[in-house]
Amino acid sequence: MTLDQFGFLPGWPVAFGQLAWIGVLLLASILAGEAARKWLRLPRIVGYLAVGAALGPELTGVVAAATLAELRLLVDIAVGLLLFELGQRVDLGWLRRNPWLVATSVLEAGLSFFAVLAVMMLLDARAIVATAVAVVAMATSPAVVMTMVKELRAQGQITERLLLLTALNVVYAAVGLAVLFGWLNFERHGTWLPMLAHPLYLILGSTALAAALALAALGLLRLLGRRPGFQFSVLVAMVLLAVAIASALGLSVLLTLLSFGVLSRAFDRARHFVSLRFGESAMLLVVILFAVAGASLEFTGWGVALGTGLAIVAARFVGKAAALLLLARPSALSVRKASLVNLGLMPMSGVALLMLQDLLRFDPKLAAELSASLMLAITILAFLGPLATEFALRRGGEAGEGR
Amino acid sequence: MSELAFKPSQPLTLGVELELQILNRRDCDLTRGATELIALVERRAHPGEVKPEITESMVEVSTGIHERHGPLLAELRSIRDALVAAADRLNLLVAGGGAHPFQHWSEQQIFDRPRFKMLSQLYGYLAKQFTIFGQHVHIGCAEGDSALYLLHGMSRYVPHFIALAASSPYHQGVDTAFDSARLNAVFAFPLSGRAPLVERWDDFAAYFDKMAGYRIVESMKDFYWDIRPKPECGTIEIRVFDTPLTVEKAAALAAYAQTIARYLLVERPRPVGEDMYLVYNYNRFQACRFGLEGNLIDPWSQSHRSIREDVLETLGVLATHARELESAEALAEVERWTRRDGNDASWMRSVYAASESLEELVWQQARRWSGRS
Repeated sequence: MTLDQFGFLPGWPVAFGQLAWIGVLLLASILAGEAARKWLRLPRIVGYLAVGAALGPELTGVVAAATLAELRLLVDIAVGLLLFELGQRVDLGWLRRNPWLVATSVLEAGLSFFAVLAVMMLLDARAIVATAVAVVAMATSPAVVMTMVKELRAQGQITERLLLLTALNVVYAAVGLAVLFGWLNFERHGTWLPMLAHPLYLILGSTALAAALALAALGLLRLLGRRPGFQFSVLVAMVLLAVAIASALGLSVLLTLLSFGVLSRAFDRARHFVSLRFGESAMLLVVILFAVAGASLEFTGWGVALGTGLAIVAARFVGKAAALLLLARPSALSVRKASLVNLGLMPMSGVALLMLQDLLRFDPKLAAELSASLMLAITILAFLGPLATEFALRRGGEAGEGR
Repeated sequence: MSELAFKPSQPLTLGVELELQILNRRDCDLTRGATELIALVERRAHPGEVKPEITESMVEVSTGIHERHGPLLAELRSIRDALVAAADRLNLLVAGGGAHPFQHWSEQQIFDRPRFKMLSQLYGYLAKQFTIFGQHVHIGCAEGDSALYLLHGMSRYVPHFIALAASSPYHQGVDTAFDSARLNAVFAFPLSGRAPLVERWDDFAAYFDKMAGYRIVESMKDFYWDIRPKPECGTIEIRVFDTPLTVEKAAALAAYAQTIARYLLVERPRPVGEDMYLVYNYNRFQACRFGLEGNLIDPWSQSHRSIREDVLETLGVLATHARELESAEALAEVERWTRRDGNDASWMRSVYAASESLEELVWQQARRWSGRS
């Protein structure tokens, strides 16, 4: 009897493909999410992040960088859907009916920008780095806010304002980043044209693409009628297309998808859209999104950067708080609820990581510098952010029952 | 002597309470918002009152005391305008309608006040199913005995009120086939239905004391009757109306009830008797199920006719009283719905038929309520 008679058996050690590791990552994340909810009473997201961080290249390396790259496609889809859904929930008409919300939003983002900028300048950062950090820190993470709102089935004024301000903050940060690209062009080439052209291309291009997609989507929906299941499939397909076209044209994926959502609602005068809930079916994508985000976190250099990280988090928080509390009453909210909105706006990690990636493609050196200053703040807020948002929604009495 | 003294009030004065739906603008589902909405309305002086109700997705507005339809309507309009302006700033919608067409009661949160907490504990899912929206019309009475006469006399017209006001054909996402599905939810409560046939206030007070002695009730609020006396206000309260889709309709319905009250008190056309209540549940069901097409049996003549015919005949009888009360305009409106337009339930069914979307229906309901369309 020879061994080759048993050739149908696998070799030893068994060679698993990357798919297996993706499965392991998913399974571990889901279990950790449930454990976090059940025993620690923490948001499930924190469990996904922790597993991602623990298995990721930075700590144990069970999940290799190559595996993460494989997941990139799913992450893009998840981000696209979340941004689109957030955009859909934002009602531009509200800004017209309650103009103090415009003031609140602008002041909240503006004060957090200048507070972070001031802190970075005090810490002797280069002007461009300080500005870049302040731009990114304006953003609020749509993924965390949307996921917490959905997981808690939250509804009410805190929830609605949180979603509105989150969407606007993403817009400010994305536009800020585009302007920053213009500045970098100027430093690089010393000419005005690319300095103006680059941000204009990003902002106008992304908006125009979004408007075209929104009109196309509405045209399709008008043709197909108000059938929820059908609309859902069509919109998922359109979101995939939007992500693909925006990336291919070098436009801002953030800005395109968010505007696609906002405009498809704003243009929908006859209300052809049935309400869109990606809900439970998008759950798996959310797990992947946060597990991968966890795996992208860095845990080195704590000693050096801890002060900077904490200072950024604090400056951002204080800037937002000042605006929200100041304008609470004119915008028709109690001071207590305004302070809860402020807490809810804390998360920023996912969107900050995305913006770092954008910058990395354009200017690796600056991205590295930026990442050194910002990564700790990102890591702190990755874990603190979901807790803050959950606390705000629960304490405000806006969380639904159960779960 | 019972503590349940009937406080006299000026006869035939009117007051209206409306329970309203608070909705989000995204998908027109019920949403939490009563606390902020009330806080915002209270920042400015406004007529009437705006109060929380059993859930965060409901507010109740109430008017002051009126003698005539005109001023009542004016006050309702200005309360509505204050409420709609506040809702705009909070990105909310406010709408009439007896029930939300597709809301799922399991998702409603009970309002954070001791009495509501108590109700929710006592009635469990019934309390949540109670997210239904009604109009209450108060009519002033000089003393307890005439209040009880009026209460029983009015019961003859309960099918009219139900059929004319019906605005809850859809509930929990389906067409219930009823014009007023709301009243079916009220039936589930043990103390719903009709008041006992008691004609003298002293006897009523004794009845109440007995019920309180059994500890079945603590206050008049525990009775969910179709019409109940409210001794501390000196009124009877008619509670079978679904909240209509417009304040104009709410005011006209109140004026119709007021005019019938005058007819009953002045002419005393018929004696009160238990026979009236033999046909009561039958007639009431017909009104809930079929609206104005429903069949109505007259307890005295035993004749059958449609509720529509009976309303039109009643309007004829009321003409002189309408002149006295300056309610002729309101009654003309009632006649127009009865002859031509139908009730709100039929309007709602036609909107749904055209759009095939309950969300769209609720959106249109909110537009009608705002008075801007």
